Amino acid sequence: MTDRHVPTTGVTTADIPASDHAPTEEVVHFRPRRKRTQRELTSLTLNLAPMVDVVFLLLIFFIVTTTFKKAEGVLPSRLPSQGGVADQYDLPITPITVHVIGKSDSPTEYEITVEHFVNRPTTFNELSTFLNEIQANPGFDDETPVIIRSADDVLWDHVVGCWNAAVRAGCKRISFGTE
Amino acid sequence: MANHKNKYRPRPSLTINMSPMIDVVFLLIIFFVLVSHFASAELVPLELPDPDQSQALNIKVTDRVIINIRLVAPNDPSAGTLFSVGPIPPEPLDTIARRLELHKRANPDVKVVIRADKRTRYADVRSVMETVAELGIEEMHLVAHIGNSGEQP
Repeated sequence: MTDRHVPTTGVTTADIPASDHAPTEEVVHFRPRRKRTQRELTSLTLNLAPMVDVVFLLLIFFIVTTTFKKAEGVLPSRLPSQGGVADQYDLPITPITVHVIGKSDSPTEYEITVEHFVNRPTTFNELSTFLNEIQANPGFDDETPVIIRSADDVLWDHVVGCWNAAVRAGCKRISFGTE
Repeated sequence: MANHKNKYRPRPSLTINMSPMIDVVFLLIIFFVLVSHFASAELVPLELPDPDQSQALNIKVTDRVIINIRLVAPNDPSAGTLFSVGPIPPEPLDTIARRLELHKRANPDVKVVIRADKRTRYADVRSVMETVAELGIEEMHLVAHIGNSGEQP
């Protein structure tokens, strides 16, 4: 045991000049393959935490600030160039006059009557179908003027409902009148 | 040997510098918040009519003047009605008539868009329509909510 630990020459491996040990030098510079790949991987990861922070902040910001609003559109119409809103058609065509009357006891309700017709549509859906039926009769078509006459106390909602029903029925000339 | 050594040189760091991106993102947020606020200023919040199977069209009306008609107190129709042109605070109807006259003189093709709360009485809306008609403005649009589709029954 002691003979192996204390060499007689007194020269250790470190003391030997490098030139004499070329193969040993190769071994010292060699790095194991596994270690290298690990180091490259760590340098390639992105630090995602700040980005996630910002994205969540934006998400919450938009959720809080967004108000979901119903889209609004327009019902195009034309006003007569001469005179008031209540236009008198001096034409041989009989216009279809729709009356909307509010019920005095509850303003949210309404009554619809169509002049010269016995049928009384109760809803705007029925009015639309009814106007369609009228148009199918001889002497009436989609060019027949439709006048919506409404009482002063009727809610605007019902007047627009009436107008919308006439547009739905395909009427091309719709105008307002007064009750 | 030299080639071999180059492979092991430490690479420059690949992390992305996020601060400029965040700067830009916040700038965009502020821009859009402000722009959307200004764009909706003339669309005064009110309850629009919502007819069954609405035929209202989502069209861009050019050369338009928006007239907002709303109630002072939505639950009390007798409290009165407010008329306003676009983002301008409510005014009496004759002031609005004068404004419309100026619009009509500047642009004969001006169109009036009537945005009335569905709870207003027809008489109030009619008075606006009469004013518009007296000025010789021919095109008028009524605003209503757009239905989910235009399907026929």
